[in-house]
Amino acid sequence: MLLSFERLGWWKWVLVAITGLVTAFLLLPILFIAALSFGSSQWLIFPPPSWTLKWYREFFADPRWLESAWTSLQIAALVTLFSVGIGLCASFALVRGKFRGRETLKAFFLTPMILPVVVLAVALYAFFLRLGLNGTVTGFVLAHLVVALPFSVLAITNALEGFDKSIEDAAVLCGASPLEAKFRVTLPAIGHGLFSAAIFSFLTSWDEVVLAIFMASPTLQTLPVRIWTTLRQDLTPVIASASTLLVLLTILLMLLVALVRKGFKS
Amino acid sequence: MTAPYLHIRGIRKDYGSVTAVENVDLEIRRGEFMTFLGPSGSGKSTTLYILAGFQDPTAGDILLEGKSLLQTPSHLRQIGMVFQRYTLFPHLTVAENIGFPLKVRRKGRAEIDAKVRDMLRLVRLEGFEDRKPADMSGGQQQRVALARALAYDPPVLLMDEPLSALDKKLREEIQVEIRRIHQETEVTILYVTHDQEEALRLSDRIAVFSKGVIDQVGTGPELYANPATRFVAEFIGDSDFLTCSVLSSDGRTADVRLGSDFVVPGVPVHGGGGGRSAGALLLRPERISLHRHQPAEAGTLPVTVGGLTFLGSNVHVAATTGWGEPVAVRLPFGHGAIEGLSRGDTVWLGFDPRATHVFC
Amino acid sequence: MTQASNTAMLAPPPRRRGWLPAGLGPATPALVLLTLFFVVPVVSLLLRSVLEPSPGLGNYAELLGSSTYLRVFLNTFLVSGLVTTVSLLIGFPVAWTLAIMPGRWARIVFAILLLSMWTNLLARTYAWMVLLQRTGIVNKTLINLGLIDQPLTLVNNLVGVTIGMVYIMLPFVILPLYGVIRRIDPSILQAAALCGATKGQALRRILLPLAAPGMAAGGLMVFVMSLGYFVTPALLGGTNNMMLAELIAQFVQSLVNWGMGSAAAFVLLVATLALYAVQLRLFGTSQMGGR
Repeated sequence: MLLSFERLGWWKWVLVAITGLVTAFLLLPILFIAALSFGSSQWLIFPPPSWTLKWYREFFADPRWLESAWTSLQIAALVTLFSVGIGLCASFALVRGKFRGRETLKAFFLTPMILPVVVLAVALYAFFLRLGLNGTVTGFVLAHLVVALPFSVLAITNALEGFDKSIEDAAVLCGASPLEAKFRVTLPAIGHGLFSAAIFSFLTSWDEVVLAIFMASPTLQTLPVRIWTTLRQDLTPVIASASTLLVLLTILLMLLVALVRKGFKS
Repeated sequence: MTAPYLHIRGIRKDYGSVTAVENVDLEIRRGEFMTFLGPSGSGKSTTLYILAGFQDPTAGDILLEGKSLLQTPSHLRQIGMVFQRYTLFPHLTVAENIGFPLKVRRKGRAEIDAKVRDMLRLVRLEGFEDRKPADMSGGQQQRVALARALAYDPPVLLMDEPLSALDKKLREEIQVEIRRIHQETEVTILYVTHDQEEALRLSDRIAVFSKGVIDQVGTGPELYANPATRFVAEFIGDSDFLTCSVLSSDGRTADVRLGSDFVVPGVPVHGGGGGRSAGALLLRPERISLHRHQPAEAGTLPVTVGGLTFLGSNVHVAATTGWGEPVAVRLPFGHGAIEGLSRGDTVWLGFDPRATHVFC
Repeated sequence: MTQASNTAMLAPPPRRRGWLPAGLGPATPALVLLTLFFVVPVVSLLLRSVLEPSPGLGNYAELLGSSTYLRVFLNTFLVSGLVTTVSLLIGFPVAWTLAIMPGRWARIVFAILLLSMWTNLLARTYAWMVLLQRTGIVNKTLINLGLIDQPLTLVNNLVGVTIGMVYIMLPFVILPLYGVIRRIDPSILQAAALCGATKGQALRRILLPLAAPGMAAGGLMVFVMSLGYFVTPALLGGTNNMMLAELIAQFVQSLVNWGMGSAAAFVLLVATLALYAVQLRLFGTSQMGGR
């Protein structure tokens, strides 16, 4: 009875109340920030005395915000490209390979995901000091690639394991060379996995703070680093407008994902 | 004698120290429907995969019209294959799936379209061109797979248990389709199944696989009437086996004794040398006559009825010999001999010794 | 292969098929990347903990011997434990409800869950900094409701860190738990009811034990993630309850004491890997992941 919503009796209302409160807990901060970004109060008083677009103007007027956003975008795009490419190759080895220790290798590829990112950040910071890679796009991309790759490997191996190898064999018997069969049949069929890998890789890099704080230089900052340094000084409403823009981007991405998923299903 | 169309010559496949198939030798005529029948793990699928080029044999050769196929990679062998699972390309429509082999051969658009239309007509799926595989039933998907495998007019079509994922009724429906398509296209088919009924229904000849070797090759009636091994006898048709001792044997026929004193003379014998030895006597349940009273002529075996099972058109009578071995008899429903028959009755079983076999 | 074969029956040499052979080959780029930019940096960092400023275990002795640092360790475990407990307590009823509530409503809750999960971490933390400040909306609401007279200090202390981190960790508890509860056959609970179990007994004796693997997996994951968390504690926590990740960053960035920094990093690493090994032992790799 506990797993039937209708037959729960008054328990049902307790559960619904808790879920409602938690949902509000998850949603309200985001809504408040969006509201405050349009409020005129420098001290983020709610409800705001009046409404304004001042903070957005300030955001777009300051070249440092736009520059850091552009840097973030470049880095995230490169990370996505490499993460999906390298992850795809690695997944073929992990799923189709016949060598021993495949499980161990997979666990190794996934470790950056469970390692505390601050440890990696400090380690890479020290390493890049010697190589002179701190404060360079290359350094950012490499650092983010290490933490993004596990998501690609996970998403693509998953898709590849769910893909029946005989379909590729069928394509080969139909006359396609093994390479052609992979491009024409296997890759389109695991497209949803590649797409998930791309989205996760992009978000991992785009939102990444800790590695970025260590890699950044005064001249090369990603958007999260810019928000971080600003936050440490004061809680200016400009960050509320930046955050709201980021939430909008998130919603767009979620819609894109939903649309693409629907596309893959039909 | 002309050379065979497809010659599987002494194929052997080892996985490490395990031998999956051994000494598989088969000659297949052009246009023949040959079935590999056997339980799982008997090596029939391995043989098929070697033909497809997904596995290399440890020894042996595959000759198509006298030329070896082994050096040709799968995608250049021109062989068609229908798999156990449907293996349609999920992102392509039915028409694109069927056209795929022609597309990778860089055929022109008009040619592809015409061929796709032909193939859809052949498998009776006109109007399904733009469907995606996910929107079709299992039976329809398998017919598309068949159309795709035939689209490039392969000399040989391999089918690996293509109907095992379908339910019984659908399976029988598609068996009829496969027969029709075989007759229309005259393609040479190698068909793998573990279902004896399917094998008998479809094939010109059947190769019975057991533990990596072919026990016997022949038409259905040949295998049924003249099984070479006990395994073949058990696999094709229903069978009763009674332990017996061979009294004398000339290598072709033998006199055998059942129980302590029931002698069956002149039984075709398989395996074993001459002289006395233990064996198993094969009886076919549907070729045994049942008598309520002891007949005048000798050679009938008294048994005790254990029970009757109604199986639609047939009735199955379970009985026990005087020395305690079970024996089953099958009679058509409504047969006079079973009217009023009940548990514990003694009946007499009659059979023609020449229609039985003894395996040593 | 050079061996002369005079039998025609001998098989041809095995061909290599395709560009992606049945081997390790395609994994090479990933292997090179992770070796160069993951293994080498982490290992050389850890080496510095026993080499700088002088070879030996001096850094560890100082780290584990000083009450200041021990307090950081203690606080790290305290915050992680608190966050895990609260997340589980809140997450279980939500996951349960999600598993059985009508699909349309569940989809809305899911959308909100994903939205919060996918929203930039700093944006979310910033939101709590604003909401929890002395003049923030939480304090204002409490005062307006007459529950308090003076505004409470909700940021730069344990309360702030806990709220902020629970907010971030909740989805990581709810999603796996939802999966586990979804897989429980409802007829098991119907059978429990027919056996005479009350709802409370069915919850305690059937549903909770069946959901326990999910709770353990989700809880362990949240605990491990909390141990090494940096951003939220740094922004919402106070100087009195610093966590391990901040300590590491401080050693390296402000004090430029690489020996101590890497020793602290090693302690964090060992704790994380040990707990992760426990999780792997108990649940296999399937529960791994989640962003």
